[in-house]
Amino acid sequence: MAITKATASSIAPAAKGDLVVGSATNDAAVLAVGTNNTVLTADSSTATGLKWATPAAGGMTLINTGGTALNTTTTVISSIPSGYNSLRIITVVTDPQDDGGGLRLRINEDSTANRHAQGFMGATSNVQFNQTSVPITYSQDNGTPNGITITDIVFYDNTSIWKFATNFGVVNSYLDNARAEFIQTWGAYNQTGAVTSLEFFFNGGVNASGGTVYVYGVK
Amino acid sequence: MTRPLIRIHNAETNEVIDREMNDEEFAKYQELEQAEATRLIEIEAKAAAKAALLDRLGITADEAKLLLGGN
Repeated sequence: MAITKATASSIAPAAKGDLVVGSATNDAAVLAVGTNNTVLTADSSTATGLKWATPAAGGMTLINTGGTALNTTTTVISSIPSGYNSLRIITVVTDPQDDGGGLRLRINEDSTANRHAQGFMGATSNVQFNQTSVPITYSQDNGTPNGITITDIVFYDNTSIWKFATNFGVVNSYLDNARAEFIQTWGAYNQTGAVTSLEFFFNGGVNASGGTVYVYGVK
Repeated sequence: MTRPLIRIHNAETNEVIDREMNDEEFAKYQELEQAEATRLIEIEAKAAAKAALLDRLGITADEAKLLLGGN
């Protein structure tokens, strides 16, 4: 039977957005519209087989609310929660107080010798764990902060494998701040504990005079 | 003496604390500072040695690159 406006109206949806749905063989019911931003979801346990539900969270969640300013000598993001697939660390407009400062990342604030390893383009084979941190940038110009870096640590909360970070970005070259310095580095940490904190600092004890770090949990 | 500042952003509570480095943190910081000073001295020494060699040979850095097939 064709559904006309008259037959549909006879079921009498009460409000804008209400749906007429089958509730059993040869039977229909009205499903009231859901609240804003909910989505229609199949659910066999309801009378209509449908429900309005909040979409499952996905994508990236900012862990350090608002980001963290980098304008002290050392910055730590602590109490990083578990439960995401990976961490994505984004730094923007970082600025060393002196020319040539390179931003470093220390996993779990662990400065014990021989636990971090670093890889650069052209220096990636048979690399020793002889560092206490890994590089985010090499040698930045101070005073022209335009750069951005992106670092991923997958399986960061796994407790049985080493941790690996992949990092890339671009900053103003300290040799000529009108030029770009492209960065592609890798970091490794030969401990199996979950990553629960991240420490950032410029090499050589150079103070940070600007920039922000954002740490996202990625589903 | 005022020590360098450390900022701790607790992701769980969103509390941000700025404080001076404690003894352990300051010792690490000084190690880092010393290592960087040593690295810079080594870079400068290498650059000076290179300049002295070019001077002895009586050629420029660009000419040395040509000799070595660099670009």
